[in-house]
Amino acid sequence: MRRMQTTIYVSIAVLVAAFFLLPLIWMISTSLKNDFEALSGQMNFIPNKPTLDNYIQGLTGGLMNVPIGRWITNSLSVAVASTGLILLFSSMAAYALARLPDLPLRKSMISVFIASLMIPGVLTFLPMYMEFNALGLINTYYALTLPYTAGAFGVFLLFQFFTSFPKEIEEAARIDGANKWQVYSRIVLPSSVSIMVTLGIFSFMAVYNDFVWPLYVTTSPEMRTITAGIAIMAQGSFTQSYGKLMAMTTIATLPVLIIFIIGQRSFVKAITQSGIK
Amino acid sequence: MKTSLYSRFTSSLFVLPYLLCFVSFLLIPIVYGFYISLHDFELLSDKHKYVGFDNYIKIFTPDTYLSDLFFKGLWITIQFVIYSVPLLIIIGLLLALLVNQLPGRIRGLFRTFFFLPYAISASVMAVIWLMMFDTNAGFINSMLAKFSVMPVPWLTDIPAAWVALVTTTLWWTIGFNMVIFVNALNQVPEDFYEAASMDGANAWQKFIGITLPIIKPVMLFVMITSTIASFNIYAQPFLLTRGGPGSSTKVLLMNILDEAFKNKEIGTASAMAILMAIMIMIISVIQYRLAYARKE
Repeated sequence: MRRMQTTIYVSIAVLVAAFFLLPLIWMISTSLKNDFEALSGQMNFIPNKPTLDNYIQGLTGGLMNVPIGRWITNSLSVAVASTGLILLFSSMAAYALARLPDLPLRKSMISVFIASLMIPGVLTFLPMYMEFNALGLINTYYALTLPYTAGAFGVFLLFQFFTSFPKEIEEAARIDGANKWQVYSRIVLPSSVSIMVTLGIFSFMAVYNDFVWPLYVTTSPEMRTITAGIAIMAQGSFTQSYGKLMAMTTIATLPVLIIFIIGQRSFVKAITQSGIK
Repeated sequence: MKTSLYSRFTSSLFVLPYLLCFVSFLLIPIVYGFYISLHDFELLSDKHKYVGFDNYIKIFTPDTYLSDLFFKGLWITIQFVIYSVPLLIIIGLLLALLVNQLPGRIRGLFRTFFFLPYAISASVMAVIWLMMFDTNAGFINSMLAKFSVMPVPWLTDIPAAWVALVTTTLWWTIGFNMVIFVNALNQVPEDFYEAASMDGANAWQKFIGITLPIIKPVMLFVMITSTIASFNIYAQPFLLTRGGPGSSTKVLLMNILDEAFKNKEIGTASAMAILMAIMIMIISVIQYRLAYARKE
């Protein structure tokens, strides 16, 4: 009876997994087909004539003026830069808010930062565009990188962690004459590696995957991120070139998929602990 | 602890970099957005005439172009919320229950499978499903053809387009809800179930009597986050249906961005964006209130 039940549950789970995985498998399969086969409507997961042309053309720029190598470089650079800034600025701020009681306006800042988590992106999107426009920074890496540093999620996550951090080591270091920066950089940071990795994965994926902001804030092809570039291709002349599109999406998805699978456990922990997306 | 002026100054330095970002890319845009919404603000012109609350008044004046744009978009967005949120909650919970019934060895594997699409960018997700739902060469119609079903114009017909939009949304985000539910289910004490079993309760009675009441707060949380996420829907109609057929899936966010960047009317678009943001924040406040009430 028990075994029978388990078999039924596993069978259902396999069917459900098929729903989640088939589109991804189909994406990879289509990326290995020529345009003719991709549009044939056949359901062959293994291409009749497998070809790497879509990847080679995409990466060497052979596709009509689509600098995909540049796009992926842009995406990775922007995501790494934003993540670095988020990690540094959030951890410094969270350390001060959690551990430095003489910080002026400490309580008000905590409330304001937490309240800001409720502010939807639609409220700041257009004025932020106009702000960068006024500064002459549209279509630059500044516009692609800086807006993500304002999010309070990292401060909130690290603040919670630092508050529960044992005081004794830190106090001992202070008595030994270490200043605040030394306590932060030599004691607090090295003890927070796992939570910093979690926040890093979170931030990297959020920035790398964002496509609406980069879509509007970039105006020339070489400044696009891969996600914005794909959105434009899918709207333009590539609608019927599924093989090429799928080679792009496969390349675009690989970095986040690898990071997601490796960091899944800490990712899940961050979601469930913070209760905030 | 010494709290000299110098010490307070050095403490402030730690917050300064983040505070600068916070002010520059959150506070200033909020204030500037409100300022823009009070002006006749064209994207490409330098002259911005102050018009007071005219932009808002126009939105609330029936049968004007702007009020149509706002309220039709809002109604379409609400339709999407109504179609997607119940499924996002119920199927998310069902998936969590399913994962917990699996043998321990494969549980993590299937959780990963169900959660995997969540890692993908919205634009990639939409392009994958653009191909899946293609009327002539798409995977779905090819599969249906095996059962002699005529090709369905998934992206150019109503209600098929809604089915397509909701399906892609479920595929993309339901893993998030599942993970939250799995975590909640694992916090239900095992003895509760054992005690109920001794009293002769069946699985359904245990679910209704024990599981549901305990996970109710989490359910509320998932309901609110899903509602907000669905309210913000953009990528799916933008890339899959392009708002069509006609403008029957043209959601509010699409209308706002079109008004801003196609019609170059940033002033009226900002007024619409602020109204949309207020609605989303009201949902957030309700969430906060309910969560707060729960702790007391």
